[in-house]
Amino acid sequence: MPRKPRLVWLLCLPLLAASHSIPSETFEEELHVRALPDGKVASRFSFSVLLEGTSPRNPQNLSAEDESQHYTLFPLTLGQILREYAVTELHLTLNAGNWNYGRWGYPDEVDVGSGAELWAWMGEGGTATVDERWRGLRNALAGLFCASLGSLDELRTTSPALFAPSGGLPDWGMHNPHEIRHASLPSEHVCTENLTPFLKLLPCKSLSGIATLLNPHRLFDADWHGMGLHVSWLPEAGVQARLTFQSVTDPLRSSDKRDWSFASIFDRKIERRCPSATASHVVVSLPDNGAYSIQPPPPSIDRASNAAVFDLKKEPVEFDAPLDISMQWPNDEGFEYNLVPQTPLSVRRLLHGSSQDRGSLAVSISNSGNESVSVAYLETLPWIVQVYLHSMTFSINGVPRDDILRNFTYVPPIPHARAMELTLNLEIPARSTVLLKMDVTKAFLRYTEHPPDAQRGWDLPPAVLVPHGGKRMYTPTLLLDLATPDFSMPYNVIIFSCSLVAFIFGSVFNLLTRKFVVVKVESK
Amino acid sequence: MKSLVDTGALFPALVVGRLLLALTNASDVLKHNHQLSTPLTSYLNLQEGIYLFKNGIDPYSGGVFRQSPLFLALFTTVLPTSRIACSLIWTISDAIGAWALVQLWRARQRVAQTSRDGLIAAAYLLNPYLFLPTLALSTSTFENTLALLSLLFAARGHASPSLLAAAILLQLSLSSVVLLAPLVLLLASSPVSQLASPRAFSGNVKIIIPLLVEFLVYTSVLTLVSALVSGGWAWIPQTWGAILTLPDLTPNVGLWWYFFTEMFDHFRPFFLMVFSIHLLIYIAPVCIKFQYDYLYAAFILLGVLGTFKSYPTMADPGLFLSMIALFPEIYPYLRYPIVTTLLHLHAALLMPLFHHLWLNQGTGNANFFYASTLVFACANGAALTDCVWAGLRIAIGPPQEGFSVVQE
Repeated sequence: MPRKPRLVWLLCLPLLAASHSIPSETFEEELHVRALPDGKVASRFSFSVLLEGTSPRNPQNLSAEDESQHYTLFPLTLGQILREYAVTELHLTLNAGNWNYGRWGYPDEVDVGSGAELWAWMGEGGTATVDERWRGLRNALAGLFCASLGSLDELRTTSPALFAPSGGLPDWGMHNPHEIRHASLPSEHVCTENLTPFLKLLPCKSLSGIATLLNPHRLFDADWHGMGLHVSWLPEAGVQARLTFQSVTDPLRSSDKRDWSFASIFDRKIERRCPSATASHVVVSLPDNGAYSIQPPPPSIDRASNAAVFDLKKEPVEFDAPLDISMQWPNDEGFEYNLVPQTPLSVRRLLHGSSQDRGSLAVSISNSGNESVSVAYLETLPWIVQVYLHSMTFSINGVPRDDILRNFTYVPPIPHARAMELTLNLEIPARSTVLLKMDVTKAFLRYTEHPPDAQRGWDLPPAVLVPHGGKRMYTPTLLLDLATPDFSMPYNVIIFSCSLVAFIFGSVFNLLTRKFVVVKVESK
Repeated sequence: MKSLVDTGALFPALVVGRLLLALTNASDVLKHNHQLSTPLTSYLNLQEGIYLFKNGIDPYSGGVFRQSPLFLALFTTVLPTSRIACSLIWTISDAIGAWALVQLWRARQRVAQTSRDGLIAAAYLLNPYLFLPTLALSTSTFENTLALLSLLFAARGHASPSLLAAAILLQLSLSSVVLLAPLVLLLASSPVSQLASPRAFSGNVKIIIPLLVEFLVYTSVLTLVSALVSGGWAWIPQTWGAILTLPDLTPNVGLWWYFFTEMFDHFRPFFLMVFSIHLLIYIAPVCIKFQYDYLYAAFILLGVLGTFKSYPTMADPGLFLSMIALFPEIYPYLRYPIVTTLLHLHAALLMPLFHHLWLNQGTGNANFFYASTLVFACANGAALTDCVWAGLRIAIGPPQEGFSVVQE
């Protein structure tokens, strides 16, 4: 009978092998709510799935059969896209509204540029180039999120090195370096059709856990809202996909008090926990001073960040009552606005000029701090607007300064083909406002290149300001007014021009080829 | 005025007047004007190209700078780039052009000095189609000067300087290749007016091939120099290529820009080819018909260029109109000079007006300006056909009572 135990072991082998190839997954969710200085409430949902011990696909293996993908928590549709195009790091944000840095400070998630923004780090090499995979990635994500990301074409794609990867980049050899592709589409409108596919990627959908609070009726009514997908590779842990949703709601819209509760800002409560989540927290930042009350009483308080932490996993198995956290300032008679700038740096960008063929771009960057700051200013404009760098001037209070600009890199635009990318490395002196001005010329497009609502103008992507070692700041978008041809008369123009050319050509050839004769005129 | 013309002081007086005009701030206003400079000749683009070049960025890697690398070489080494200095350089170029036109007239008349000299200089220096682009610092001024210089040297029989000027002109504007045939044939014959007595070509045919080879050598050397200056061949698609493929649809006074704005995408390459070849079609018939007077053939082909080239400025038809002053013998045979003048007046007034209404005021649309460029093309076409008619009609002799000259 010595054979039987061996047979049993043999039967177990495939199971062992399978358990090796399937990575273990963890899902963590967190909601962070904080009151903003101007009385609004910022909430940030973060859902992260970690594929432990995995690494991004090496593009050199793109031609080979990929290993099979078995996920329990990680969204399969997203995993397939990441493997298909061998994406190492990916950031997609769909935002609506302008993040007001002066009043709200820095956001929890830094990518707050209006509209759609997509950037990805991908390794070079293999059968498909980075640009081909970038095109595929755009279209796949467009399908996944029901967003017009397909319009993020070569005309809007740039490679700004300022967007450093948040995770690690695997080392696949010197000849296969990683490259970044970045594109933004400021005219993208974010709405329910983007939230529904977003919720489908979550293990518990919006049925349980903190995702219950993602109520489209309230979220899209917020002063600012934005969703994001961030995939990065953490060398020690694995591939992490993080889905985020940020919103800024205004309790003062309906009353004169800044009190808020889940019911008032989301119109929903958390009724049950998400069973798949290994961690599930609601974190509420507490005010530094003043009398306030928070209900229900927080089970624990994080002293370092002065925040109340509700651990949904430690709550009783079934909630006694739906969790509805609320915060009140009982002594407040009415909210008093406190409009002190929340960030030391602020940036404004304007497009001057009433003419449809040229204008000037004015950027003012203020530093209210007591030390000069070195910043990088990144402008990625589609080719339809071209800057004249020779007209670039810097001034402080109208006094021209030539010590502001340290250096710059510039990738000029190519008409109908490539976007412009300008990175200025500036030194902003303490307590001063630097005004940067440069002339721009606006392109004249072919009639087929205009969008259907051509008279509305073109949204220009936000510029990005990156303080040295600090967080990215986005400027609001701009609207560019371009001259339009008459869309109704291509045939007429072709006919008129061709007729005129044919007429002059015919007249000249008539004169050149026909013989001159003298005829006698009969006088009557 | 009479005494000015007689003493020969008119030419210096005109140049001084033009220099004073150049010192005003007119260029700051005019340099944006689409009628006076195109993307291929604009001063702003030239400055941008020089700025990028000086900062180590290849100006031909983008789509803003489309001028010849020769400009980069000159303006980053020899020539100053300040606005006042540029105004003076441009005006001096115009003065050289006017001098060349006067010398051309003298060579044609085979005299050392005539009473018409001052008038001819004035026809060049006071022509608004020519001095406004110069005030706007459009590089088309240099193209005109080079065209006149190459014609002048050809008329005097100096083959090498003439071909060199033509080769430089070709570097600045590919369309000028049209002028090569009459230029070489003018070198092989004489500039003296033969319009009234047509006869078969009597020049020296044997020197044509060596002249063409010489031109090719100059062009190759200049092309190599350009490649060395810009550090590669990227400038060819950006300068010569742009003339053929029209990547920039900024409005100008020509016929191409709106046609290709409104063109269906799948027909674009076909019509680009048709419009480019159309320019070449005129060379052979004009050179055959005016084989007894190649200066006149060159004049007619300049008229064709001014009407039909891809990125014309006012200066291109302006050169043709000023050159009419060289051929007073055809004046009695012009059929409708008043109509042509009125068409030009009409177009010259409407174009800036409609351009402003469309792009600045917002009360007109693109069709307004397009319509006025059509009128301008009609005016140029009328001048062209009338000059062709008069140049041929003069051979029949003065009109006589009871007889009429017609074509079969």
